Amino acid sequence: MATQSLRALARRARVPDWGESLMLEDVRGEVAITGIGETPVSGPSGRDPRTMALEAVAAAIADAGLRPEDIGGLMVSAGIRDQLRPEDFHTHFNTSQPLWFSTAGGAMIWAATCTHSAALAMRAGKARHIVNVFAVDWASRRAAGSGTPGDWHASEDMKARFELPFGWYPQPVYFATFARRYMHEFGLDSTQLAALPLTFRRHANRHPDAVMHNRELTLASYLARPPLADPLRVEDCCLISDGAAAWVMSPAEQAVDMPHPTVLVEGVGHGRVQGAPYISQQPVITATPQTFAAPWAFAMADTDVTEIDVIAVYDCFSSTALMQIEDMGFCRKGEGGHFIQNDRLFYQRPRRLGGIPCNTHGGLLSHSYLLGISHVVELVKQLRGTAVNQVEDTRIAAYAGFTADEGSTLILRRGER
Amino acid sequence: MISPDLSDPLTGPFWQGAQAGELRVSWCAACDRAVWYPRARCDVCDGRLHWQTLSGAASLVAWSEVSGPLNPDFDTPYLTGLVSPREAPYIRLVTRLVDCCAADLRCDMAVTVRFRALQPRRGAAFIAPVFTPA
Ligand SMILES: [Zn+2]
Repeated sequence: MATQSLRALARRARVPDWGESLMLEDVRGEVAITGIGETPVSGPSGRDPRTMALEAVAAAIADAGLRPEDIGGLMVSAGIRDQLRPEDFHTHFNTSQPLWFSTAGGAMIWAATCTHSAALAMRAGKARHIVNVFAVDWASRRAAGSGTPGDWHASEDMKARFELPFGWYPQPVYFATFARRYMHEFGLDSTQLAALPLTFRRHANRHPDAVMHNRELTLASYLARPPLADPLRVEDCCLISDGAAAWVMSPAEQAVDMPHPTVLVEGVGHGRVQGAPYISQQPVITATPQTFAAPWAFAMADTDVTEIDVIAVYDCFSSTALMQIEDMGFCRKGEGGHFIQNDRLFYQRPRRLGGIPCNTHGGLLSHSYLLGISHVVELVKQLRGTAVNQVEDTRIAAYAGFTADEGSTLILRRGER
Repeated sequence: MISPDLSDPLTGPFWQGAQAGELRVSWCAACDRAVWYPRARCDVCDGRLHWQTLSGAASLVAWSEVSGPLNPDFDTPYLTGLVSPREAPYIRLVTRLVDCCAADLRCDMAVTVRFRALQPRRGAAFIAPVFTPA
């Protein structure tokens, strides 16, 4: 297919003026996700992130039908401690090939954008098969009293100077504040918001690997819970977990000869809001940076929301997921609370029946808090047709990534074979 | 450390203002606008910034009542949120809401500044600009 110029992409990907889409080159159809691997996910496990990462990487390489010596690149997260290093890879697998190494990988927004970085690395001849991996041990760390997700935010200077002294911290407090504003502007109520945690929990209840597999949740029990940071209850907030996941990216022309149905990277978007990194100053607090990521990814993939069969949305908080579903364009701003009712997000209500199945593994709320890497792994399974909560006839999938002031979008398509 | 550093050259004047009973924000005279959070120079014209004292009238953007064990630095429950000052409605101040309960609050309601001591669980109390329904 003809590659679209940056100018053509920018013309198609019109966005509001309170943020920007990063100018990502068109890489449509160049890269495939050819192998996936996961460790068990859990509460405190005592396992260290590098051990878990190696387990996930080994599984992903085997799933792709490759050997460790075939891997030419390694992508990990920059901001999270104890991620895998090239020397860990070589020591563990007893290999010595050159490894292109990038810290623009991992989870959150990078679970989408790493595919773009990998495409450019493959074009430049830096590597053929590239592994992206993310591991976290926050459940163990929290149990040991040695660090939580909030520490990362507290390290930002102006937050420390002007936000922490008032107790506007940690993350549930800011997203509760934004949810309150959203409720005021658009009339959302807690019963409507409950559709997200309840649907994701039902997905987890059917998914044997999910942390909340055995924990049922009803609307009555949800509403009976006291708010943690009003209007958010504990069920509106992500879990804290241990675990790792990884995938292998390969040049698309090689993927057709590999074991699984081809899953192609069709579109990638990366958006950023004004005021970054301080979301207290974000000009619009009832929307997310997904507003600036999705249009670029859809333009690159030459598709739109009507063609998407299944989505995975970064659901650090229920309200954040709701806003991102709107910001991807599945419904108009402010209509999300109504849109998600009647099992619209449940895996058994496919597009044919007006649904848009979302977080079919249970999401960050009920599967595990692996910061989005499991979301993309789940979409690969959906496109292969091997998911536990398999949506019927999935052809195109989309991931919405989030890191407060930045968002990303990844469009994946099942190849024809 | 939760308690603010009054001697910090970039951010201390905000907290010194609170001690003096004044709500101050960083301001660019050339652009005649607030620059928040404070920076070394204006991000638009690169001009020098000064600290401008505001009236203390503001609008409540949104809030949350923190009830759960989320923040180890403060006793719960407490009301925290975002307000926009009347003279600079395009910025937001993180603050506390005082002398009221959650049921008294509405988004976009008028609020006015008060100066109160906030007491973290560890460390010294400090005077902070907080808000109450006007
Ligand atoms: Zn200026």
